[in-house]
Amino acid sequence: MQGNQQQAYDRGITIFSPDGRLYQVEYAREAVRRGSASVGVRTAGGVVLAANRQTRSPLIEQSSIEKIHAIDDHVGIASAGHVADARQLVDVARRRAQVEQLRYGEPMDVEALTKEITDHIQQYTQTGGARPFGVALLVGGVMDGEPRLFETDPSGTPYEWQAVAIGGGRDDIQAHFEDEYSPDADLADGVQLALSGLAEAEDSIDPTDVEVATVDAESETFETLSQDEVTEHADAAGLGGESDE
Amino acid sequence: MSDEFATGNHDTPDPYAPELGGFDGLDRAAGTDEDTVVSTGTTTVGITADDGVVVGTDRRASLGGRFVSNKNVVKVEQIHPTAVLTLVGSVGGAQSFIRTLRSEANLYETRRGETMSIDALATLAGNFARGGPFRAIHPILGGVDDQGEHVFSIDPAGGVLEDDYTVTGSGMQLATGTIEGNYDPEMSIEEAGTLAAKAVDAASERDTASGNGFVLATVTSDGVDIEEFDAVAEAL
Repeated sequence: MQGNQQQAYDRGITIFSPDGRLYQVEYAREAVRRGSASVGVRTAGGVVLAANRQTRSPLIEQSSIEKIHAIDDHVGIASAGHVADARQLVDVARRRAQVEQLRYGEPMDVEALTKEITDHIQQYTQTGGARPFGVALLVGGVMDGEPRLFETDPSGTPYEWQAVAIGGGRDDIQAHFEDEYSPDADLADGVQLALSGLAEAEDSIDPTDVEVATVDAESETFETLSQDEVTEHADAAGLGGESDE
Repeated sequence: MSDEFATGNHDTPDPYAPELGGFDGLDRAAGTDEDTVVSTGTTTVGITADDGVVVGTDRRASLGGRFVSNKNVVKVEQIHPTAVLTLVGSVGGAQSFIRTLRSEANLYETRRGETMSIDALATLAGNFARGGPFRAIHPILGGVDDQGEHVFSIDPAGGVLEDDYTVTGSGMQLATGTIEGNYDPEMSIEEAGTLAAKAVDAASERDTASGNGFVLATVTSDGVDIEEFDAVAEAL
């Protein structure tokens, strides 16, 4: 009986259950939980985005697994969940960032950009025939020297964070951040905290599997770290690759 | 699913059109008859000073430059907490332009919790002038933000030019001659107001489409103050 009732309410995205829940949105959050983790750390020196991209086979080209995306010179997005859904939202964000330049002749504020993305996500929770986005995003960037870090979830709610994890193992990583985060940290410390957070979910990480990007507060520029740089930071954080042990 | 939803138009607004009350359906040829459309003719000046911006205008509206159709026009209006825009050219186009920019500035501020920068407002004004049906308008935008004091002229083709001072309207050559050589970037806002009055006075003496008094808008980081004078002499 309970099963049948629940099935009736989860058929359409626009239908509330009697206790006020939108099952399709909750299922989308489950899809995020099944993805590998992405993390974001905000420091005084800039914002760090990092993602684990373990490969199914050594034959796959690792660069084809996209979890961190440049949006504009000063903003990047990391995702957890359905990569294909993330790509759609990433393109919304890229277009919106360029429209801001055309319309006002200025780069887009990170908070305003996040809210444009979440407004778009929300449309897919209230429109017949639609399916919600099975992805959560971390939007990190710098405007006027101020680093900002936001999370979007499948309901279309924006949250701002100092340090946050999305995807599989989120709870463990978040607990690690809550213990270790310091607002005085510089950008390098932020990279190391992000890597140690990812290691928390997987017991250990192979630095060559990790993608890291930063937006420096001074240059206000999105940059992807090279594999050597990631390895150096991992060593500094005491996170040797598994192969070393 | 509506087309707007499917194509994601919500997320990519047209940069050359306002979000509300867009240009679709407005007749671009509206009011092309110069003899029947009320025009401000006008002299409007914008001057940056040490601690703010002044924008001065005359008060005359005319028909084809031959008949004074109104002697009490206030040709400078607030469009933003710390910015004003002048009405120059076709009155219908200029008034619509002001209403459009004001609503865009309000939307921006309520959504983002901060006011639009004057550079952004100038870019938007240029886009609308270029993409819209406003035709013969040539306003001045004057404002203050955390980057400082700004004066822009917005031409009918969407050209956006910033300067220390700028003049538009039929009396522009007379008014420019008055300001030229007397401008000093260190001048106080009171001195800049007097210089604006002198410039509009010179134009009112010789330009048939300018006259009937003076309006002075003063913009500082505290906001906008607009004063009306029945005669320019009262402001000198």
